[in-house]
Amino acid sequence: MSTRAKPLTLKKVLNSVPVSFAIYAFVMWLIIYGAYAGAQAMGYNWQWYRMPQYFYTLTDDGFQLGEIMIGLGKTIQLSLTAFALATIFGLFIALLRLSDLVIGRGLSIALLEFLRNMPLLVLLYLFYYVLGPVFSLDRYTASVLCLAVFHAALISEIFRAGINAIPKGQWEGATSIGMSKGQAYRYIILPQSIRFMLPPMTGEVVHLIKSSAIVSVIAVAELTTIGRNLISDTYMSFEIWFTIAAVYMVVTLLLSIGVSQVEKRYAVQT
Amino acid sequence: MTFTRRFAGIALASAAALALAVPASAQSTQQSLSSGSVIESIKQEGVIKIGLSIFRPWSMRDLNGELVGFELDVGRELAKDMGVEVEFVPTSWDGIIPALVSGKFDVIISGMSITPQRNLTVNFSDPYAYSGMTILANKAMTEGFSLEDYNSADVTFAARRGATPAAVIADMFPEAELLLFDEDGASTQEVLNGNAHATMSSEPTPSEAARRYPDTLYVPFNEAFQAGGEAFALRKGDPDAENFFNNWIGTKTRTGWLKERHDYWFRGEDWKDKVAE
Amino acid sequence: MQKFLKRLHWLDYVIVALVLVAVVFVIQRVGGTLNYNWRWEKIPNYIFRYREDQERWVANLLIQGLVATIRISIYASILALVLGVILGVARCSANLAVRMLARTYLEFLRNVPPVVVIFIFFFFLSEQIIAALNMERWARGIARSDDNQIWTFFFGDMRRFPALISGVIVLGLFQSAFVGEIVRAGIQSIDKGQREAARSIGMSRFQELRYIVLPQALRKVLPPMANQFISLVKDSSLVSLISVPDLTFKTVELVASTRMIFEAWLVAAAFYFVICFSLSMLFRRLEQP
Repeated sequence: MSTRAKPLTLKKVLNSVPVSFAIYAFVMWLIIYGAYAGAQAMGYNWQWYRMPQYFYTLTDDGFQLGEIMIGLGKTIQLSLTAFALATIFGLFIALLRLSDLVIGRGLSIALLEFLRNMPLLVLLYLFYYVLGPVFSLDRYTASVLCLAVFHAALISEIFRAGINAIPKGQWEGATSIGMSKGQAYRYIILPQSIRFMLPPMTGEVVHLIKSSAIVSVIAVAELTTIGRNLISDTYMSFEIWFTIAAVYMVVTLLLSIGVSQVEKRYAVQT
Repeated sequence: MTFTRRFAGIALASAAALALAVPASAQSTQQSLSSGSVIESIKQEGVIKIGLSIFRPWSMRDLNGELVGFELDVGRELAKDMGVEVEFVPTSWDGIIPALVSGKFDVIISGMSITPQRNLTVNFSDPYAYSGMTILANKAMTEGFSLEDYNSADVTFAARRGATPAAVIADMFPEAELLLFDEDGASTQEVLNGNAHATMSSEPTPSEAARRYPDTLYVPFNEAFQAGGEAFALRKGDPDAENFFNNWIGTKTRTGWLKERHDYWFRGEDWKDKVAE
Repeated sequence: MQKFLKRLHWLDYVIVALVLVAVVFVIQRVGGTLNYNWRWEKIPNYIFRYREDQERWVANLLIQGLVATIRISIYASILALVLGVILGVARCSANLAVRMLARTYLEFLRNVPPVVVIFIFFFFLSEQIIAALNMERWARGIARSDDNQIWTFFFGDMRRFPALISGVIVLGLFQSAFVGEIVRAGIQSIDKGQREAARSIGMSRFQELRYIVLPQALRKVLPPMANQFISLVKDSSLVSLISVPDLTFKTVELVASTRMIFEAWLVAAAFYFVICFSLSMLFRRLEQP
């Protein structure tokens, strides 16, 4: 075994951790500075000093949340409502899909195929312009229903996978002690399948928050809509788009950290 | 101006550090203003690019899928008088001003009303159309009403939230109750159902609604309220273009061409069978 | 038929009843309260129209939009594939800086809503690229020339070429992140022994990638790639928000021009469904050995 130190090659230097970080920081700085200077050279007037007021203002009435924070609150409210509905619809669709009901199963498969092959934007237009007048839906309701139905398809797949992951032995055990199918679901299958389903479900929440941005096309009050309204009022496109993207990134990254914590706790030992 | 912008575009695209500044050539202010005008670039390219957004009857798709409408007539006539080709760029309404500012087309001819807020970002020509608003009312509920009768606490108006008619109604009929909706269609529906006495919107929407439901709806007064103006929108800092468009609009107004075209599209029905009604 | 009826559970009948009630309700509302005039007979005209003056059938708005959507999807997929492979390889690079940069790009595209990404890429990239390359003047030159059949076949009306390219760039960049992840998974699933063997016969890193790793990796990940393609076709509808004349944009124009709200959106949805469903059926068929 040679005890001679390995020669310090250029490659080793470049691959070392501190140098890598330096290169990374340098490239990121180049991109940001290039964007900044390039925009300025094109006559764009950077107005970052105007941004903080959209987060919060300190008026005589005290601390007031700015439009961006209000928009974020509305996005979260919209997403959670849609998620709750999507879970209920999704469970229903999954149960139909797994059932012995011929028409029930056919209907759920047809619905799933339809939603899987439909762009979300077109579905939103369908809900708002077609179903809206028929069922007297206002834009908020139409958006929530659209998001709920779209994600119900994805959630029903999570339910189905979770339920199918329960070993057949459990079913057999349940029926052997005289439980009906419904009782088996309620007391044996579903409680166990939750640990399979929780990680992907929390992932769906993140997915739904991202999908919610699409409702800005029908001017429902939420974060992206606020952003587009601010841009049409102030024309600070660069600042506002970057800020909106940053807010979404922070929210989804925080949630993703939560998701991985959940995954660790409920990790299934195989 | 265009030259420097392209250089900066290359810099941005390759994430280079600094945009190369093109040394400003020694031109007099007058020369550089003229050569920077959009009129010059239109002449050079041989084409005028006009941004518009689909909105009946300003601009629409006919049965062949071609663009027809008042704006199209105006644009084609303008191009003919300038001796250039015309290219129409259909753009979604909420992106149309940013698209103009970033140079995707030369001018917006799309029934855009002159508002101070827009004027902060773009310049407007003189108005080439005046689409006022008219009242659309429920026949049974407003039998024999005069204009003053609408201004009473028993009268209910419906209007679209945030749109100009809402502000006008609040201004003209302060005593009356005002219901706000998200959509023009919803306000018309309320009047149709009898839940509101009347609504207001820009012509030709009220007249079309009255024609569609002649038993229930009608337009009680012929006068148009708050006849603001619609004008061409162009980029700031271009006096030559503004002068040209203003004079062109003035000439067409004086010869009656604009009025004739406006009446054809907004008051007439002849074009309806070329566009699916 | 008898066998089918025998298999029906009482709940099945309940479901059928509920569906019928819903259908009747909808028909009543549309015909009655909303007073909507169905004009289905007008829709075929917007798909294909017979031009008396040209004495032939031409594609109208909806087909123009459909063809644009197909073009954008195919070209954006090619762009996404190229960028995705580069990204996937970068994610597996030995160099930490390269890995981090690729990871940053990926996390940005994964955590920001597609709508916001589309707008950002549009304003900050495709606009500059098109202006820098002077694409508009070049495309107009082709549009004006007489000899442009090939160009028109591949790209449609050349005067709208910059808009089409905007859509392609924006969509391709957005999807490249997901393709990159798929490629990365494929590369990492290649047995280490393969790479060691490649090194031991003297291949450079690049040769190893080109001849050993990538061919196997890409073949492995064909199923998820196929799914990603379908996903791309669905996401292509978003480019209508940046005024690219795809099927969704054309449908919006059709509705604004003729007020045939129901017919137009139902037909557009049907078009998207048929394309995506056919593709997924095709891929399922191809997957079977």
